[in-house]
Amino acid sequence: MAKTIASYFDELRGTRVWRSVFRSGTGSSTLHRALAVQQNVFLHLFSTKVRTRMLSFSTTWYLGTLTFGTFLLLVVTGIPLMFYYHPSVPQAYADTKDLEFVVSSGLFLRNLHRWSAHAMVFLVFAHMFKVFYRGAYRPPREFNWVIGVILLLITLLLSYTGYLLPWDQLAFWAITVGSNIASAVPVMGNKVHFLMLGGNVVNANALLRFYVLHCMILPLVAILFVAVHFWRIRKDGGLYSHQSEPQTVTAGPVPAAAKGGQFQ
Amino acid sequence: MKNALSSMWQTLFGHPVRAFGVVSLLLLISLAIAPAKNHFSEWRHYQKQYLALIGNRGDAKTLELHFHNHDGIQQIWLPGLGVVDRCTTCHVGLKEASLADVSTQPFRRHPVIPHTLDQFGCVMCHRGQGPATTVEEAHRSTAAWEQPLLPARYVQSSCGQCHRAPLTGTPQLNLGRNLLARYGCVHCHTIKLPDGSAIKPTDDPPSLFHIADKSTREWIYAWLKDPQAYAITATMPNFKLSDLDARDISAFLIANSTPLAGDTAPATKDKDEKAPDPTAGASLYGGSFCSSCHAVQNAAGNVVGGDVGPELTRVGTKVKPEWLRAWLRNPRVYDPLTAMPHYRLTDPQVNLLTAFLGNKADADLLANVHLDAATPEQIAHGKLLVTEYGCASCHEIGGIKKPDNFAPELTRIGSKPLTQIIFLPGMEHSTPAYISAKIRQPRSFGAALKMPQYTFAPAQIDALTTALLALTDRAHDLPMALTVPAQPGSNYQPAGKAGQLMADLACFTCHAINGRGGDLAPDLTWEGSSVQRPWLQAFLKNPGTLRPALIRRMPKFNLSESEITELTDYIMAVYQTPAFDRDSMPSSGYASAQVEQGRQLFYSKYACQSCHIIDTKVDKGYIGPTLTQVGSRLTAAWIYHWLKDPQAMRPGAIEPNRNMNDEDARALTAFLMMQKGSNKQEAKK
Repeated sequence: MAKTIASYFDELRGTRVWRSVFRSGTGSSTLHRALAVQQNVFLHLFSTKVRTRMLSFSTTWYLGTLTFGTFLLLVVTGIPLMFYYHPSVPQAYADTKDLEFVVSSGLFLRNLHRWSAHAMVFLVFAHMFKVFYRGAYRPPREFNWVIGVILLLITLLLSYTGYLLPWDQLAFWAITVGSNIASAVPVMGNKVHFLMLGGNVVNANALLRFYVLHCMILPLVAILFVAVHFWRIRKDGGLYSHQSEPQTVTAGPVPAAAKGGQFQ
Repeated sequence: MKNALSSMWQTLFGHPVRAFGVVSLLLLISLAIAPAKNHFSEWRHYQKQYLALIGNRGDAKTLELHFHNHDGIQQIWLPGLGVVDRCTTCHVGLKEASLADVSTQPFRRHPVIPHTLDQFGCVMCHRGQGPATTVEEAHRSTAAWEQPLLPARYVQSSCGQCHRAPLTGTPQLNLGRNLLARYGCVHCHTIKLPDGSAIKPTDDPPSLFHIADKSTREWIYAWLKDPQAYAITATMPNFKLSDLDARDISAFLIANSTPLAGDTAPATKDKDEKAPDPTAGASLYGGSFCSSCHAVQNAAGNVVGGDVGPELTRVGTKVKPEWLRAWLRNPRVYDPLTAMPHYRLTDPQVNLLTAFLGNKADADLLANVHLDAATPEQIAHGKLLVTEYGCASCHEIGGIKKPDNFAPELTRIGSKPLTQIIFLPGMEHSTPAYISAKIRQPRSFGAALKMPQYTFAPAQIDALTTALLALTDRAHDLPMALTVPAQPGSNYQPAGKAGQLMADLACFTCHAINGRGGDLAPDLTWEGSSVQRPWLQAFLKNPGTLRPALIRRMPKFNLSESEITELTDYIMAVYQTPAFDRDSMPSSGYASAQVEQGRQLFYSKYACQSCHIIDTKVDKGYIGPTLTQVGSRLTAAWIYHWLKDPQAMRPGAIEPNRNMNDEDARALTAFLMMQKGSNKQEAKK
């Protein structure tokens, strides 16, 4: 065996096509490995280097990654669900039933979407508790905590808007109750209520509004904030660990080295 | 143990590459479950069973061809009705006439019905969840579907969703609808029909404005306690009142009653009146055909007689003789709208009938009723109770307004969500079970409920449940074009003096004219084209029966000459068919050859003698009217057109349409017009 599998990969990496796609070049030097991350549009959000300790389970319990995983799963299952679903009053419930009764593996698709959604809400909270109790929200990560709170709200809104779409009794009354809570806001409560539902009661307009929010606006906003959230991890000095914590909080300008931002 | 577990963990997840492999494998297996579940679904299983079933039959080739044209999930989609029925996915053999011998479900063929499956689907009649493809979801009520399959014994209710008029195939539904009106359910419960009208009660509960003139407080007390103890056929339900409540209500009703001029008549003592013949009362009662409308329970316990008026078994215990006398003389004084005709009885006849009915008494009924004089507190409490129990929903009571919507509206009861129903412990959770239990024993749902206890037979409860189950959302939301509307009720009212006379005689209680009236006696809409004037006059003077098998006949009202002339003129002038001129054929003078040909046709070709009698010595037919005098009773034009098409002259006539040609019909008419009989004989009858 003159050639190993690894040598085939090396050959592949040397081709012109590969090099036109991945510009960082071949080689296992620190520079090449750093470039591979830095020059990739998706990976450049992350640090080019992390400590192995930071990747162990006990550090983060992988809660952020798992949350992102459920989000991806929701996007992947949500798109085929959109193929079968009409956001209209006479059709919505029948479409939900059809997913159960006639669409191949439709029930699996729908259940996967629903359980992933529940799991995502749970994981977001778990992630936030972990961050909170470990103190990882403290400077310089305070802005990323704020973004995390926004992402929590987006997750809850996604969950809430998706709840109406099956158009069953549970959905209808849940949204009725939820929107009535909004109308308890002082002064502008009724306006908010009307804006939310596109009317005074949960009906065709509310269904359409919630569908557009659920399938387009909220996911796009979520992706935007997730990107910022990931990018800020790197900018704020990578994943949090006790060792990276400054021992004393100094007043006045902080020396650049103390920011812990080696990989800016 | 702990070591074994930890070493297993180490083997599976110890190394990152192995852990990745194991997790990937688990994911693949879990992903494979979904398509596997899809493949081993219930409906595929049933389709395989079906193929095995038809495989060894003689007509396997045809059946398999039918099946393979439609394998996979089947559906009947009717956008106009909102129906998506996938029942035929498993019920594969519904349309296969040759599967008559297969009795296993889901492969049985459908019994023959007047509709096609492709046009009506399944859930229109059977309910359940049409789009479902699993047994549980399709047939039963589940967390996400409330309406289970309708039990087969109520299936007629589904016909009633579209068909508003009675159908011959749905006796149970027809009975139920009739009972809703007949037992006055709709006095308290509003039932709006999809056309916007409401079901009207037909029980005609008496007004209680002048009840003290008619009856005693003791009787009212006994009646309130148990109406069926007084009359087994009483429509009034049992309110299960306590002794004190019944005492107070009776006190209030008597105190609240106002006297009415002329509704009582003192006994007239005829100086030279002989002791009445003991059988004279009974024979007057029989001769006046009181039993056509009123029933009496005989010694054997059977109720004999009509159900138009109240049962008279114990009437002597109920009414005061002076009131009964005035009532028999002219019932319209006490109740202007009563269904009872105004018999023109003479005073001795009134006395005779009063005495006869007064003897129909039951001393036991009031034996234990001892009421002290009512106190004002009792009367006030009685008034409160009358309001609380909604007595005025049915009865007119002075000073108490008829309550609106006293009981829950039942317009859409057939689709009432199960979540809004409170079931009794141990009861089946379904709408039919709830409705029938509620009719059977309303108070079992709570002692404080006001709905009274009715006395219904099980078949009547099923019929009422069927009629109520027909009142679904679907029935109300169907486009009008898809419904079969009922004949609109007619308010026909004859005009002028004859009209007043017909109201006084309550002709419409038995006869129908222009769509209004009862079905106890022939429809008179075209009577003027049908009969000859002299016969009609003689008949009104002294009615006889036309059918040998029928004992009942029109009662004799003792009409005066002028009244008879008035009625005859009106009937002959107004009640004419536009289809032909009644004088277009002569009433006599037919050629003897034609008469003879008619005789031949009558006895041989058409064998009319099987139902009719021409010669009383020979003929034995007793289904149809006797024709011995038909030539002086009917007009020739009527006979001719009747022979050509009886149902066109009177819808529902039982005489078969023999598709007679003109020549035969003419000859038979000639023969029948020769049957003049003798008017004397007619009058004697």
